[in-house]
Amino acid sequence: MKQNDIRVLVIDDEKDFANTLAQRLKLRNMKVNTAYDGEQALIKLKGEEQDVVVLDLKMPGMHGMEVLQEIKKTYPNMQVIVLTGHGNDADEEEVKRLGGFSFLNKPADIDTLEYKIKAAFKEMVDRTLSENTFADNNQ
Amino acid sequence: MESAYENKGERDLRLLQLRFIGKILAGFTHESKNYIAIVKESAGLIGDMIQLGKNSGDDQESYLEIIHSIEEQIEKATNLFRYLNRFSHRMDTELCTFNVNETLEELIALITRFANQKKISLEKNFQQDIPSITNNPSLLQLLVFHFLEEQLTGLAKDSSLMLETSFSNGSVLVKIIARGNYQEAESEKGLTNNESHVYIIDQLRGTIAKENDLISISLPVSLS
Repeated sequence: MKQNDIRVLVIDDEKDFANTLAQRLKLRNMKVNTAYDGEQALIKLKGEEQDVVVLDLKMPGMHGMEVLQEIKKTYPNMQVIVLTGHGNDADEEEVKRLGGFSFLNKPADIDTLEYKIKAAFKEMVDRTLSENTFADNNQ
Repeated sequence: MESAYENKGERDLRLLQLRFIGKILAGFTHESKNYIAIVKESAGLIGDMIQLGKNSGDDQESYLEIIHSIEEQIEKATNLFRYLNRFSHRMDTELCTFNVNETLEELIALITRFANQKKISLEKNFQQDIPSITNNPSLLQLLVFHFLEEQLTGLAKDSSLMLETSFSNGSVLVKIIARGNYQEAESEKGLTNNESHVYIIDQLRGTIAKENDLISISLPVSLS
């Protein structure tokens, strides 16, 4: 799969941040959408599934952890990278426990984020392929 | 010799002050990180447009927009730094003459983030010509913070909190008015209670009155 097949949703209540990051990822040939809170993000995901979600933690209304939980429950294969200015070690542990792919602190290096998004996408594709192969072999 | 009330009161007060400062710093650093992150991404975007984008005549306008956004973030961050600096200096001396409105405005600027997180609006209605008072500004901020924090914990989203000041009968009045529905919420700490409120207001030589959704703090103009 090519990088421009990767669909990314950036969820952050700081609109300027979300929009600027989205532009930078688009310049790296990804298909990027934005949402400015958890509720809006879940509605967008219902309309169009994504491959990788870049998620802030502290947001008005639904906390990022709740959003992560909801995403993993509804779309178990979707990858979630937490990108927060507020995280501590306990948050990082909790993100891992809830099935998050990676935990990054703001401000993050764009190359690191790009690398993580690609790695998350690759892991998702590999997992889906191996699940499909397993299902085929059992038929 | 200090009484048991004073000993316990002072001990609890120190804990509350530390917790208060910790909360303010946590909010401040989070907010600052956000501003820096936006500046970093904006600067990065200009770099990307030069390195990865296709150069065209339209770019100039985009560059100007991004530069404007960077300037905006720097201005917001500078204001926040100014408020934190003033907040820190409130603790320089126990007693000084200060303007209550400015003290509260500073507090609001530093805690608005907490209110935004809960989707509660924090509003102010200050009487502009109230006299300056001689008292402990840091203790006043601590007391008001705890009342606001209690309300922020208890109020449902889309509620509002109004902070009012006025001058009447030789005292400056600070009113905290809550508008909205209360939800059952677990108390976060158990450190703040009526006892500590009473101890703080005793130090300020003022009075507190609570009535439904209204909390009134009355402060003398001078402690003498």
